[in-house]
Amino acid sequence: MVSSRYGTKVKWAAMISLLPLVIILILIRFYPISIAIWKSFTNWDGLYQSDWVGLSNYIEFIKNGPFLKILRNTVILLLNVPLQVFFGLLIALLLYERVLGWRFFRAVIYTPQIISAVIIGYLFKIFFGFRGPVNIILRGIGLDSMAIEWFGNPYTALMVIVISITWYGIGWQAIVMLGGMSTVDPSILEAALLDGANYWQRAFRVMFPMILRVIEFGVIASGVWTLTQLFPFIHVMTRGGPGYETTTLDYMIYIKSFGFSFGINYGMACAIAVILLFFIISITSFEMMISRRIEVKGLK
Amino acid sequence: MIVQRRYDPKRVMVFIILSIIVVSFIYPLYFMLINSFKTRTEYYINPFSLPKEGLQINNYITMISQFRLLNLFKNTLIISLGTVILLLIIGILSSYVFAKIPLKGKMIIFLAALMTMFVPSQVTIIPLYVGFSKVGLVNTYFSVILAYLALFLPEAILLMTANFKSIPDELLEAAEIDGCNYFQKIWYVVIPMGRNAIFLAIIFYFIMSWNDLFTPMILLTKMEKRTVMVALAALMGRYSGSPTFQFAGLLLSAIPALIVYFIFQKRIIQGMSFGAIK
Amino acid sequence: MKTKILFVLTLATVFLLILNFSVFAGGPKEAEKEEIKLTVWINGSDSYIGPEEQKLPQDQWYISQAFRRFEKLHPGVKIELYVPPDQEGAHQAFKAAVLGGTGPDVANLWSGQAIFNLKDVILPIDDLIPPEDLKNIWGWESLRLDFKPDGPILGYPASQNQLCFLLYNKKIARMAGLDLDKNPPRTPEEFNEVLSKIKALGIDPIVVDESFPWFFAWIGDYWWAQVSGSDGILAATHGKRKFSDDEGLLNALRYYRSLYENGFFNQDMGTSADSWNRFLQGQGGMTPVVTSFLSDAERALGEDAGVLMPPDISPNAMITNSTIGGPGQSLVVSKSTKYPKLAVALISFLNSKEEVIRAQKVQQVPPVRTDLTIDELGYEPGSNIAFLYKNYAKNYIYWPDNLLTPGVAEVFYRMTPLVALGKMTPEELAAEMDAAVGR
Repeated sequence: MVSSRYGTKVKWAAMISLLPLVIILILIRFYPISIAIWKSFTNWDGLYQSDWVGLSNYIEFIKNGPFLKILRNTVILLLNVPLQVFFGLLIALLLYERVLGWRFFRAVIYTPQIISAVIIGYLFKIFFGFRGPVNIILRGIGLDSMAIEWFGNPYTALMVIVISITWYGIGWQAIVMLGGMSTVDPSILEAALLDGANYWQRAFRVMFPMILRVIEFGVIASGVWTLTQLFPFIHVMTRGGPGYETTTLDYMIYIKSFGFSFGINYGMACAIAVILLFFIISITSFEMMISRRIEVKGLK
Repeated sequence: MIVQRRYDPKRVMVFIILSIIVVSFIYPLYFMLINSFKTRTEYYINPFSLPKEGLQINNYITMISQFRLLNLFKNTLIISLGTVILLLIIGILSSYVFAKIPLKGKMIIFLAALMTMFVPSQVTIIPLYVGFSKVGLVNTYFSVILAYLALFLPEAILLMTANFKSIPDELLEAAEIDGCNYFQKIWYVVIPMGRNAIFLAIIFYFIMSWNDLFTPMILLTKMEKRTVMVALAALMGRYSGSPTFQFAGLLLSAIPALIVYFIFQKRIIQGMSFGAIK
Repeated sequence: MKTKILFVLTLATVFLLILNFSVFAGGPKEAEKEEIKLTVWINGSDSYIGPEEQKLPQDQWYISQAFRRFEKLHPGVKIELYVPPDQEGAHQAFKAAVLGGTGPDVANLWSGQAIFNLKDVILPIDDLIPPEDLKNIWGWESLRLDFKPDGPILGYPASQNQLCFLLYNKKIARMAGLDLDKNPPRTPEEFNEVLSKIKALGIDPIVVDESFPWFFAWIGDYWWAQVSGSDGILAATHGKRKFSDDEGLLNALRYYRSLYENGFFNQDMGTSADSWNRFLQGQGGMTPVVTSFLSDAERALGEDAGVLMPPDISPNAMITNSTIGGPGQSLVVSKSTKYPKLAVALISFLNSKEEVIRAQKVQQVPPVRTDLTIDELGYEPGSNIAFLYKNYAKNYIYWPDNLLTPGVAEVFYRMTPLVALGKMTPEELAAEMDAAVGR
């Protein structure tokens, strides 16, 4: 850190810098979140009735709800994170090279995220439909037994969803990593080349550790994204079905709060949200623990 | 990183792989494009074919003149620009503190901010709506901007702090010696050095707020102030609806996002010196 | 470069601030002149707004012009129209808005359970409804709180009466040697025979996207309600009876399952999304629809678009020769309105003879008014819609799925298709519905 010539003036400036952030967070996040947590212990119906019911929302959800299915789905869907990061990294490496048309490729790589997730979900749904292009191709090359109803079976449905969100996310990962890669001094790579390192060694022994922070960011951000932002994909592709086979925690919140909008069991929705929060915190801490381990190993 | 030779098979392979990937990325735009020129029934009959019954340009004409797409653009622009500008101001100031200034208790604030990243907006939206209506902020652009700030700041700060941390302290010291005060240091050192993260943030959060459906749907209900995505979503009735018309709208509304992206990505991704060995 | 950026940023910020503050002020100040303003929420293209209308400027829509006509009759009144972007969410949004003080005066919402749950914010209008309306408009039962025959009336049935039926492709029927207009199948056996003949041609007899139970909610429900009656269903959903004891439900579900087992549905009905496309392309024998689908079908298939009513599951059922239908939409008055009489007058106006006839030109659906002739409505005699209006506008069973309380409805909507696919037995579904009572 810089020398300790940090008088009160700087301290004041720093505090003022942070002030808007703190105010916004308190008013717009902490306040509603605490209300939501409080309401999760009531039978809140959205606005009027709000009687204390203790843990019954939680108990009912875990007992009666398709809780185990949801857990399973969440775990499977989280698989997209390593996929996304891995392929994003590969693409970033590919884009790092100045092959023909590199300007165009780099320009276009983020396009999926600019297109509404609704369209993407919709297209995947059509593509993997029973009579869709994927099955047509499979039948055409003789793999008839594989031309199934992709969305009819929870595991294949989840697989298609994972593919779609991986496809959606690798552009973002690639950009973020490219950003990180661009801060790496090229002379280091040149030095490695002179030392006789081949491509893979240069990529994974030299470049990779330098952008570790960036990769970690990518992992955490996409992890959180998977747990909280999948709504448009699931809504368009399966609506959480068949039954509850592809429902996730955050889709469940939607079902309980906005779905069919009769009888809003908002208290229950809040309870599910708290459970989701708990999940996210544990998974993120887990991810961070792992990356600490990798960093420590790298230092040895 | 790859040693260059002309017609190197490796580079050809890279080119091919990238082309395939990029084609798949662009396909949805192509899909929307061909279908936006069809009539509704023609689309239902075959969504994948090229338009056969002549190009129906009226979808586009109607979008602009009668659907008043440009008015919707104005509304959404106010929100997206407002969000990005305020996000940058607050975000840069905060990230600088987190990255460089020893301030007691700043880690608590940092972690608290990160924690809010984990709460999806479906949960907070209704208490927020009730709160806003009590202070008369419902149906103002400001309410949506505030909601977005609260959602995007933690992640943006995460991004920028990591980036700012790598700014060499010597530069800041040198600036101080040159007579810079706190804010001047930020303006002359931090921002140029942190260009990458800042431009990334502009791209991400402009596009996210431009494309977002959920928050403005709840908070901005006056028809005059609607955003683009909300208005396009309203076109879908349960059984009847005009997908081809919607596609035209979706394509047109993707344009500003694409423009912002193209302007800024050049500077980050292409303006940097990369390691391709000449 | 930096100064340029700074300059642009400052301009943009100033620009935004100005716009924002002009907006912060809350929009044009409505001075309290003699002007009375009513805000009305109307659902999108399923209701008063025709499918093609959304492309036109708002003031050319039928509903806007109807409002202008009303304003002429009531000088000093201005009506503001708002179309919620999401019908399902609109109900919750309505409640939030009314309680937050920003609610509309009149809202077009779904009927039945959807508005019973909003009773805290809806004004009962029993004493404000003109008696002629009570007589000439059909469908009040679904607007009385909890469907009780003497319950307070929460709103008007909205001017469309959707009826359920099977749309069939006459060309395919001819190829199978069938004339379904002259000899419609009226028993399950006859129905199965018709379906097998179509299947023998190598064409899917019934095409439907059943990930949401459209077929069961529109056709299968009829077999249920025929036997158990709306009262029976209501009793079960309120826990006074058990769904597991409801033979009507179980039989309907069993027949539904048998249809899938016999291959009469498209094999991927649990996950498909293109059944309507396929039907319009002539790849399906029949598909379950409501009346608003007719215009698209007639445009795509022309003379070959035919109407087939669901067979009766048993000749001894309580009700026969009917179908599911009823006003699925309503017009309600919010409790926060300052002008209840005017609000009801507006609703009554929209349901008046003249307005209903005008609305028909935009969308042809059987209205809830029962004192109109086919001529007045502009239906061609012998057309599909004339047939439906003449025979079923007053002869329908109100949507059973709208009778279900929320917890049960959720189970019903999510799990029913699994019964057809064989992933759940009818008994299991009934048990789940029982478990959901009171949630």
